[in-house]
Amino acid sequence: MTDRYLISKLNNLKNVKPEASWLESNRELLLTQISNSGASQLSAWQTFIINLQSFTKVVYQPAVVLGAFVVVLVFGGLFSHQLFTQAKPNDSLYIARIISEKAKLGTIFNTTERDRLAVQFATNHAQDITAVLADPEFNNENNQVEVARLNESFNKEIDTVKTKIGRLAGTRSEVKTVAALSTNNDDAVVSIASDLTDDQGIQLSENKPIITEIVLENTSQTEEIISDISEEEAEEVKEVEETEETTDTDKILDEAKQLFEQKDYNSALNKLKEVNEIIK
Amino acid sequence: MSNGLIQKFKDKKIISQLKSHDKEAFIRVYDENIADIYRFVYFKIGHPEEAHDLTSMIFLKTWNYIQNNQLESSRTLRALLYKIARNVIIDYYRDKSTKTPVSLDDENNPIEVVDNSIDPQDKIDQEADLDLIKQKLPLLKEEYREVIVMKFVNDLSLEEIADISGKKRGNIRVLLHRALIALRELVEEEQTKK
Repeated sequence: MTDRYLISKLNNLKNVKPEASWLESNRELLLTQISNSGASQLSAWQTFIINLQSFTKVVYQPAVVLGAFVVVLVFGGLFSHQLFTQAKPNDSLYIARIISEKAKLGTIFNTTERDRLAVQFATNHAQDITAVLADPEFNNENNQVEVARLNESFNKEIDTVKTKIGRLAGTRSEVKTVAALSTNNDDAVVSIASDLTDDQGIQLSENKPIITEIVLENTSQTEEIISDISEEEAEEVKEVEETEETTDTDKILDEAKQLFEQKDYNSALNKLKEVNEIIK
Repeated sequence: MSNGLIQKFKDKKIISQLKSHDKEAFIRVYDENIADIYRFVYFKIGHPEEAHDLTSMIFLKTWNYIQNNQLESSRTLRALLYKIARNVIIDYYRDKSTKTPVSLDDENNPIEVVDNSIDPQDKIDQEADLDLIKQKLPLLKEEYREVIVMKFVNDLSLEEIADISGKKRGNIRVLLHRALIALRELVEEEQTKK
């Protein structure tokens, strides 16, 4: 005998009912008894109020939950970044800060801006890690696992900063160069085309340099002077510019790393602040 | 989800109406639940006449309870009816000084198949089913019998049964499973004998 068969037999017992005559007489008896305790017919107004109250009670709880959810979503979206930016590497909200920063980076489509922001974030992380490790209450024997983890994170952040800065420098060199003129005219601007020029670049001939538009950093307007210049000279200047910038930050980052490894956290922190100033 | 909300609304409304001494609401509750409560009591105590009396008492007690209390302990009105039914039956057993189940095949109180409108063949089938169950159901443990009647005869949900009995839903599932196994074993044993 299967359970299903047994259940179907049990279901048949639904037909066991009290007699109809007893149902009727019992109903009347009960109504008489409850009338003695004040039972009566409700008015239309009373019925309306009861319907309204019942409806409110039923929707109240889901409405409160929905309202709370919406509030958390809206305010969380508006203020979460401000809250999370204060989170330190040893805080539980730190992961939320990382996620928030990644989300922000994801919304920036310009590669240069994104790399710049990423450098800023990574530098801030490195600074925060240094500050946390400088605190003797955190950096003690009981917390060695966490300390080791933060040390590793610091190195990763430094590497990230170096990589991004290197990329930023490379990007700039592809669209912007400054060439020194062979003349004494300081205002002269030399147009040289780059490989990644936009539609404004014009190639004159194979033997002549490729021409493009550049912006002189000291002026607000672009002056276009076409002149012949040797590619070699342009390349030299370009290299000097790039090298200077990356060398500075790399050097400072290496110094910061060295000081960090020597556990001179305060000095390391100062170095990182310098990097922050450079990249701003 | 909307059906659940509608049912919740109806439950809250009927309870509010009962609290406001609405006669019409009481009649609705009575008509909707009398057969189920009667069956529940009947299969517990085995005496139709006493089942009638106890069923009346249950409805009266429910009315009085709602007037004097907030309905916090029960999620629905139906659950409240069953809880009061269980308490009334416990009091009945206590008064009778008997806790042993009574056979549903009592000579002085023969089982009445009271629905005369059913087909004769169905009537025979029903009586055969009744014969089978009536013999074996009382032999089950009290808690087994109770959950079987609530679930398979009166169609209560597991949540309602859990609310009524004060147990967890998972425990009720296990109880039902064991109850069916026990009833099946008793029935198969009887069939083997025949």
